[in-house]
Amino acid sequence: MADIDTSGGGGGGKHGGGPRSKKMSTRVDLTPMVDLAFLLISFFMLTTTMNKPKAMELNMPKKTEIEDDKMDVADCQVLHVLLDTLDQVWYYEGLQVAGLEKTTFAGDGGIRKVIMKKLKRVPTTCPPLRSGKPREAIVLIKLLKGARYKNMVDILDEMDITGCKTYAIQDPDPIEIEAVENGGTVREFARE
Amino acid sequence: MPKVKIKRSHPVVDMTAMCDVSFLLLTFFILTAKFKPNSVVAVDVPSARSTTIAENVLVITLNKEGKAFVSIKESKMRFAMIDQLEQQYGERYPAIKGLTDDQKRFFSLVDTWGTPIADTKRVTSMNGMELQQYQKSLPGIPYDSLNNELGDWVMAARYAAAESGTPIKIGIKGDKDADVDYVKQVIKGLTAKDINRFILITTLAAPAGDAAAGEAKEGEAPAAN
Repeated sequence: MADIDTSGGGGGGKHGGGPRSKKMSTRVDLTPMVDLAFLLISFFMLTTTMNKPKAMELNMPKKTEIEDDKMDVADCQVLHVLLDTLDQVWYYEGLQVAGLEKTTFAGDGGIRKVIMKKLKRVPTTCPPLRSGKPREAIVLIKLLKGARYKNMVDILDEMDITGCKTYAIQDPDPIEIEAVENGGTVREFARE
Repeated sequence: MPKVKIKRSHPVVDMTAMCDVSFLLLTFFILTAKFKPNSVVAVDVPSARSTTIAENVLVITLNKEGKAFVSIKESKMRFAMIDQLEQQYGERYPAIKGLTDDQKRFFSLVDTWGTPIADTKRVTSMNGMELQQYQKSLPGIPYDSLNNELGDWVMAARYAAAESGTPIKIGIKGDKDADVDYVKQVIKGLTAKDINRFILITTLAAPAGDAAAGEAKEGEAPAAN
């Protein structure tokens, strides 16, 4: 394939004339060159698209002092998620820190399932807002000191995957820190 | 009867046109490709599934030790940033005042900056060898609430961006093993300056199977301790 094509020169002696010098065709087979070009194209295409950094958006609340801006939140709406230093996820609903439970980020069985369930349950079980609209679940994310940044990204990612629209990053309460440190148990008198 | 002669010829396709097209594309991709800047600070970025593309970003890099660095891709913007820092915050930081154009140009050539403002003049008059040595252990930009230089850098970059007409996003590129408290502190320092929108720079997550395997391994490690 890569040789020089000489067939186009004619000179088959049809006319029976004298000896003719063979005309060499100047055609060069370009196939390997095209192969190479496409190889390089695919290389550059892939490397340029891979090189673009990816990112996730994070919007923090504006500092507002206006009372009207504050949301009407019921206890039954809230899911507290705590992240500790050992990559564990703790969660409890409403105000009951005592009901603290432990889970992980692992696939479908972990925190994702908890959030999904909460998202489904809140609009049906919680009393609707004053305007008559059903309530939506609110996830409060609390990052304990020493937790890894990876876990923060993971939980924000879970928010996106489960489609939870209302969430906030907060500082943990002392009672929550204590509860996590004690492996989920809360002393009775701790909550007044 | 004369036999019908079947002409035997292997089909030759003219490749010239294809070659033209492919080289055109090749030149396009070569010219649009950008070199990856050699990163001075090694950061292992966490992976996530939900992603947008980060472009035109001021990147705040946070390494494992919680040191902060700023970087902008375009050197023109870097020049504008230090210019704005001098103009807007010259009163607060006397050390930044009176930088020569050569020093500012030097600054604009360094893509990751991690020096307290007080040290700017010394670092911007280094030569190449000294800088290389210095970059091996960058001190980082302070970002505690008393001395929030990082916030001022970001504000300077925003002023510069406003002047050039292209809005800039604030990206946080944290090491996945960094303490989340550092990240919280950086965010707090910036929300104090009314910067509320961030993007967290991540890589694309590995396929589900890999992620689960990694997760399991990480789960075991603390239990063994």
